[in-house]
Amino acid sequence: MGNMSDMVGALLEARSLSKHFGGVLALDELNLSVARDEIVGLIGPNGSGKTTFFNVITGIYSADAGQVRFDGADVTNASGRAVYQAGISRTFQHSRLSLPLSIFDNIMIGNHKRLNQGLWFNLVRRDDFRREFEEGYAAARALVEVFEPALADRLFEPIAGLAMIDRRRIEICRALIGAPKLLLLDEPSAGMTHEETAELMNDILLVRDRNKNLSIIIVEHEMGVIERITDRCVVLNFGRKIAEGPYRAVAADPQVQEAYLGAA
Amino acid sequence: MRQKPQASLWSGAIALAVATIYLIVLLGAERQAVIIALLIAGIAAVTAGAWLGLFTSVSASFADHEDALGASTIISALAVAAYFYDNHFVLLLVITVLLYSVATLGLNVQFGYAGVLNFAGASFFGIGAYTSAILNDYTAVPHLLVLLIGGLLAALAGSLLLLPVLRTRGHYAAVVTIAFALLFKTFLEVNDVLGGPQGMQVKGMKILGWSFNDNIEIGKLSLSFYMNYLVVSLLLLVGAFVMVRRLERSWIGLNLDALRLDETAANCFGLDVARWKITAFLIGNFLIGIAGALFGMVGGFVAPNNYTFADSLIFVSILLLGGIGNPWGLVIATIIVVVVPEKLQTIQEYRFLLYALMVIAVLLFRPQGLLPRPVRRYFPGWRPWAT
Amino acid sequence: MDAGLFAQYVMNGLMLGMMYALVAVGFTLFFGVLDVIKFSHGDVLTVGAFVALAGYAGLRTLGISSNWLELVVMLVLATLAMAFLGMLIARYLVMPLRAAPALNTLLITLMLGTVLRESVRLFYPQGANPKPFPALLPRASLDLGEFNLRLDNVLMLGAGVLVIVGLQYLLNRTRLGLAIRAVAQDEETARTMGINFTAIVLVTFAIGSGLAAFAGIMNGLYYNEINFGIGLYLGVIGFSAAIIGGLGSIYGAILGGFLFAGLQTVGTVLLPFASAYKDVFAFAVVIAIMAWRPTGLIREKISERV
Repeated sequence: MGNMSDMVGALLEARSLSKHFGGVLALDELNLSVARDEIVGLIGPNGSGKTTFFNVITGIYSADAGQVRFDGADVTNASGRAVYQAGISRTFQHSRLSLPLSIFDNIMIGNHKRLNQGLWFNLVRRDDFRREFEEGYAAARALVEVFEPALADRLFEPIAGLAMIDRRRIEICRALIGAPKLLLLDEPSAGMTHEETAELMNDILLVRDRNKNLSIIIVEHEMGVIERITDRCVVLNFGRKIAEGPYRAVAADPQVQEAYLGAA
Repeated sequence: MRQKPQASLWSGAIALAVATIYLIVLLGAERQAVIIALLIAGIAAVTAGAWLGLFTSVSASFADHEDALGASTIISALAVAAYFYDNHFVLLLVITVLLYSVATLGLNVQFGYAGVLNFAGASFFGIGAYTSAILNDYTAVPHLLVLLIGGLLAALAGSLLLLPVLRTRGHYAAVVTIAFALLFKTFLEVNDVLGGPQGMQVKGMKILGWSFNDNIEIGKLSLSFYMNYLVVSLLLLVGAFVMVRRLERSWIGLNLDALRLDETAANCFGLDVARWKITAFLIGNFLIGIAGALFGMVGGFVAPNNYTFADSLIFVSILLLGGIGNPWGLVIATIIVVVVPEKLQTIQEYRFLLYALMVIAVLLFRPQGLLPRPVRRYFPGWRPWAT
Repeated sequence: MDAGLFAQYVMNGLMLGMMYALVAVGFTLFFGVLDVIKFSHGDVLTVGAFVALAGYAGLRTLGISSNWLELVVMLVLATLAMAFLGMLIARYLVMPLRAAPALNTLLITLMLGTVLRESVRLFYPQGANPKPFPALLPRASLDLGEFNLRLDNVLMLGAGVLVIVGLQYLLNRTRLGLAIRAVAQDEETARTMGINFTAIVLVTFAIGSGLAAFAGIMNGLYYNEINFGIGLYLGVIGFSAAIIGGLGSIYGAILGGFLFAGLQTVGTVLLPFASAYKDVFAFAVVIAIMAWRPTGLIREKISERV
């Protein structure tokens, strides 16, 4: 029996993706694909283009060349909004939450496409709005309970008062509440201890088990995480893919070792 | 599951009653020495109250019982008006507070929620006022409709001005609105069709034959004609207040906050930043325009000197003093900014200078303003029930 | 249009451009060094001009009547006073707000501008009215065909050019200039290089504010009068000129200043009824340019890490 992704077609497919900033080539004809229901690790030394890749996919930067297809549609240089509507969601390397707003508010930002944004609905039909609000609350609460039950009762506190690890958890909740098909995690465990990281990964796997339809690309520097949760890895260096495959194979690849440690 | 008990209604109610009485006394005082003494006493009381932590309990009270206390505030406004039923000066002052509050609420939507800078608030206020002047004098358009048109024209002017700079950073909107503020005043002064520096008269409001510029006779009592305008202004403020509150406590309010705080992230979650900035700006200008149109009719005349850049900065000062994003703080700040220089005639001439200094102090030492904006509570008093 | 009239318009345009350029350079210096928009810059110009005027009045009462001496004293007095004011502003208003959102700095400098403007209006004797500014430059002029070339205009233009060239020299050929450019580029790196960040910021603000004083005096000499609102007017135009040229670029600011003056002059020529509408036109041009190219002809340097 062949690999499911061969039969159904890749969920995300980037082909010959290139991006430069002034003289610096950040992405160099990158080919990367993600199948449905797959967790892919994206690793490489600093500056190898991992975050740039995320930024190009999510419409923050536009690619200079190449193509991106998602779920059968061409999303090359699509706007951030279009990409979100298509079902790609993300977290950010430098956690971008709205600090003065509450936990609930921040999570609901991620739920934008499922909420009624009409003026009449929001200003006049307050009973209907209340119902949607309560549904949103229930959904947010359910998600938060997976990651940190202690926070579930504190959904209306401002983010500013939370510890870094809790903020990262909320950021992931924000990315998940809209039921995306592809989740991009940019160094989710930055600033956490080993135990906290392990916990976080368990929670992510738990959510993923509940949503059969979720693929993840995770950028990480903690190799333990990569080894444990990813199905396969892609290694970047100077914006190019230099290796691909299950973690063990990739870790043993001399090219990869050289990229991280320098030539022997 | 632990439930926080609902705050008491009493602290809010008592605070409101005390404030109403204080306001009546202040408004009625005539001698400068008395006024200064009252102001000092007021500042002392407020400082003491803050230090004793009374304000947290008043805020909580207002937060949990907003509907009841809101209604009480309306009653107290009417009480103030009734007390001064034949005092033209005080009633005009109250109306000014009400209409400036509406305008600043509009500015709050633009600035406080959406983060779009508008340093031409007085100009859009003036657009509304001049609309009243022209339509009332030259056409037979019903006056309530004139108000609406004033609001729409202000919104239209605003959208034309802002469209090009919506995708850019804050200081561009700042330059454009400052330039417009200067342009507007100069244009009005130079243009004779609109009355030039002398301005134009505005015919008073008339609804279904009821002339607003005649004193109201009830039996032996003669109520100042300003009462007419006061009732309409109060209705306008209540309507604007409720709408702006609901706007904040909705997904739209959330969108505005999100795009103000982090446009890039907001975009990544599907938010149409341009659309919501424009919406916020239009709504804000609409309110400013309506308030201006009504104010034009109240005052009976419009002149370029009332709608200068310095006047726009007064609106901004109110917003910063009151606490950006907090409508209650805004109303309180409007009362302070409007009433104090009117009562303390000696400082009238220095008011632009003093307000600028005050805002500098606020920005340096208490940037969140008098009443910082609390976290969004979609339905005051709502408590989540554990499932 | 005859050659004489044309030449006159060109001269007007050059003078205007010089003044706008001087103000624009100030804005761009502040933005470059601290990423701040110092909205009070124009009003510093006003205060500088009034300080010079006060100096003149003082010299007159002392019985000094030499034009050149008066001019020199006024220049030195106003420039030093404004440099000092600029440093105070940087030290006590702008630097403390660095951690706060950029909006707060914009607001506080806007309010400061109002304080300066209103102070002049309220506290300078009859400050609300336009005040005559003495004509201290030689009134000689040369007739070139139909064009009357005034010596004082030539002197002012020359002085302006000298100042700009001097500024360029300072920025590009001296250690101080190097330090300023380093700080403008990247604060962190500059600090690690041993540059005293605060000192450089203060010096930059001093330079920019001194420039404003110079521009204010130039404005007074050219129009033979000053009023308390002149800074606001010049500030708005100077700021947009700086934006057109790309905030952070000195060349761009100069270019923007002259471009703006050129547009204004062309407009005055094409719309002859417009003398009363001259100011309206200027502001309309600001709005139009912002609408066309909000981020300037040369892109503003924004780096945002995502």
